[in-house]
Amino acid sequence: MLKIHYGELVSEKYIFNPDAFFNNTYEDDWIVDPLSIQMIKDIDGSEVVGPRAIDSPFLGLIPTERLSGGVKTLILMNKDQEHIFNASACGDNCAKWILHIARELQNRRKDLLIRLGYLMDFGTEPFEIEVENLGIIVHNGKELVETVLDNRLL
Amino acid sequence: MIGKYEIEIYNNRVHYFLTVRRNITILQGNSATGKTELIRLIGEYEQNGVSSGITVKCDVRCTVLTSVDWELRLGALKGSIVFIDETAAFIKSKRFAEMVRGADNYFVIVTRDDLNQLPYSVEEIYGLRTDISKYKRFRKVYNEIYKLYNTGVNTQLKPDLVLTEDSNSGNQCFAQIYNCPCEPAGGKSQVYNKIRRSENSSILVIIDGAAFGSEMGKVSRYLLQSNKNCVLYAPESFEYLILKSGIISVPDEVLQETFMFADSCRYLSWEEFYTSYLIESTAGTIYKYNKSQLGEAYRTTGTIRKIINVLPEQIRPDPESAG
Repeated sequence: MLKIHYGELVSEKYIFNPDAFFNNTYEDDWIVDPLSIQMIKDIDGSEVVGPRAIDSPFLGLIPTERLSGGVKTLILMNKDQEHIFNASACGDNCAKWILHIARELQNRRKDLLIRLGYLMDFGTEPFEIEVENLGIIVHNGKELVETVLDNRLL
Repeated sequence: MIGKYEIEIYNNRVHYFLTVRRNITILQGNSATGKTELIRLIGEYEQNGVSSGITVKCDVRCTVLTSVDWELRLGALKGSIVFIDETAAFIKSKRFAEMVRGADNYFVIVTRDDLNQLPYSVEEIYGLRTDISKYKRFRKVYNEIYKLYNTGVNTQLKPDLVLTEDSNSGNQCFAQIYNCPCEPAGGKSQVYNKIRRSENSSILVIIDGAAFGSEMGKVSRYLLQSNKNCVLYAPESFEYLILKSGIISVPDEVLQETFMFADSCRYLSWEEFYTSYLIESTAGTIYKYNKSQLGEAYRTTGTIRKIINVLPEQIRPDPESAG
């Protein structure tokens, strides 16, 4: 299940700056993973040439370290369950991928725990998200927004 | 620092256009829209100047502030536009908010998280977008900023409840203008709670747009999700409405080019500037302004009508019903 901690988070596992963390921890095989390739195409509009080369329609051939902060954070969520990543590095266009990664992990009986500091738009389809601060499960955007704001988590 | 600054930053692949007119500008929005690339270009230009192959055109210095020795660096900066990326944890600190107050700098901050300690304007929250049509012609990415929140009033509303941020003069004035209850929220952070708890069928929320930026994302997201018939009206501030109404004589440029008057060294937000301007320009007159208590001269039929005239047509009450 997708679990979200809203607001400030104090934890040894918490990575505030996933962009820098990614640059220093990513494995080559993460980049050529089919899901990574899809996310890089969707978010950055770029093609994966190889583990260390990305073809960006705007920036040309760039090293993997110059992927967007959003897509780096998504790849980390998918590949590293040891840490809790700051999903505020991701825009609304990453929301569907966060839900997708959480579903994939759930199939492997794992949870995805992330931190958010803003009200990301998870779309209009029903979902299941646990607001981790409260242990409350919400099922749609309205429930999520009201739970977070009623409890002054942001 | 005062003024409006056009900023153009480019290399042979990307080209950015920005306009900065207040001490605090926020950049947010989707991933991969070029926010980090913008900061990277400015940082690289700072390190290597023309040798970087990057061009930065701006009348004042553009600089990047990172987490490294940020207090020391910020303390030494003057007359600059300071760009800060979301990876700088200090932007949410009390110390940073203290240093922004009175700073002779403008700040452009990339962040999706709200900065509750800073009173930034709903008008200065931007996203970045790419002009694809230019890319096809010039083989270069042209990025420009766009306002993230449409603060215009587009819906006709006859409210049965008016909410204001606080119980000050603005609330007292709107209570006279609208023929329905006019309740104070008890501060900008309470606006959501008041809307949420209200069972009224049509709610008009009047906020001080010049300082409501940190709450805007939350309130607008809630309004999008809920079925409340609620209109958010965000003039700069109540004092701005008075100045605009013609009750007292105000040079046009004070309102149209506020950026030339609202010195960041003196005013943390334009709300503070308009309040100060109104207090100073009405001192010793019958219109002597007091923020906490609306004076009698502002309650006459004539002055109330002038304030009504500057409200958007969609939320203007019948002239007859205004008391």
